[in-house]
Amino acid sequence: MNTASTNQLPLGTTPPYARLHKWLQRGLFVCLTALVIEGTFTVPFLLLWYGWPTLSVVEVCSELQKVRYSDDSRECLFPYPLFGPAEGAGQKTAQDEWGVQPTPRYRKIGFRDLIKFRNERLARQAKAN
Amino acid sequence: MTTSALSLPNLSNAYDDHQEKSRQAQRRADRWLMSGTIVMGTLILGLIGFPLFLRGLVLQVRAQRAGLAVRPMVCTLLGYLVIIDSALNSIGWSLDMVAHHTLINRTILTAWGNMVDGGYFWHYNELWIGGSGAPGEKAWEIALIPVVFCMRLAAAIGFLQMKRWGHQWLIVTCWFGVIIWVGYVANMTVFADVRFTNVVFPVIGWWIYDIFYITPFLAIPYLHTVNREIFSD
Amino acid sequence: MNKKRSVDQDTRRRRALMVFQILIYGYLLALFLIQLHMYSVRDW
Repeated sequence: MNTASTNQLPLGTTPPYARLHKWLQRGLFVCLTALVIEGTFTVPFLLLWYGWPTLSVVEVCSELQKVRYSDDSRECLFPYPLFGPAEGAGQKTAQDEWGVQPTPRYRKIGFRDLIKFRNERLARQAKAN
Repeated sequence: MTTSALSLPNLSNAYDDHQEKSRQAQRRADRWLMSGTIVMGTLILGLIGFPLFLRGLVLQVRAQRAGLAVRPMVCTLLGYLVIIDSALNSIGWSLDMVAHHTLINRTILTAWGNMVDGGYFWHYNELWIGGSGAPGEKAWEIALIPVVFCMRLAAAIGFLQMKRWGHQWLIVTCWFGVIIWVGYVANMTVFADVRFTNVVFPVIGWWIYDIFYITPFLAIPYLHTVNREIFSD
Repeated sequence: MNKKRSVDQDTRRRRALMVFQILIYGYLLALFLIQLHMYSVRDW
């Protein structure tokens, strides 16, 4: 598209920078396409990975909280009171190794593992009863 | 002398005509481009906005081929990409700053965090200010949302209007972007244990997701080498 | 004389921009590699 002759160059581009501008334009287009694809597939992919539609969105939220604070009794309050305290304020159950560089110790969540965690928990509770 | 004086009004009419046609063609393309950009900036509706944006590009290319004076293609891509980049960055961080207790944020953002960046999962919503509790994260958000992303958005709009101040301020705000990348990645590396322990896709996940936000690095060489004369006061 | 000056300026500018690109992408690559190294030795 950009030939060597000056009058074919886009406005603002001088010959020394023609090649640079051509490649920048291609790079910009690649970034744009990637951002669009990422943006579109982020939410569906996350929801699928974390157990939707088997788990409802509120259940996914609750299960994530149980993992985050290593506490099976935590639930996601929905709707959250508008000027309520921070959801995790004052929690004491989270597993961490503290120090100048803290290390979390929550469990890893694989593909649709939240469903497995929930089922295991329900089975445990049923056995306990 | 008299003949040229007689022909001048016709010449200037033809010029004005050409300018008016060019302005209209650019505006027509910009309507599609801006609609597409706004829709793409919502993150989730990206694939709906993309065809709208492409239609705008096609209209602009057609106008250019027809000999009309439209904005250079690189300027168009750059300006709109900076807007999208600012919008997407702002949406995530604004959610974290002010909408941290909404269901969608508590589910989607923390899920994203659990998948690629533990900073958005670890002790989330435990600080009184809510949102991410990772070391340094809130400071980056408070500093960058108003100072960088809003300013970059405004500069990009001025740049798309081919204004001199738009060009200048886009240079400034893109250099801010260099500071962001240098500092933010350093912070993640220093507190890497918080960010990556027991995350689904440590390191690789975050880099693959976020590398496409390097628009400022592509913008800087262009902004410093474009002929400044094409931007007016 | 003026043309030579602007050509020199162009050359200098191109070189400066290239140095900038090499530095910034080099920095990002360096930190990425550091993080990968950490991934390989730590229990993530």
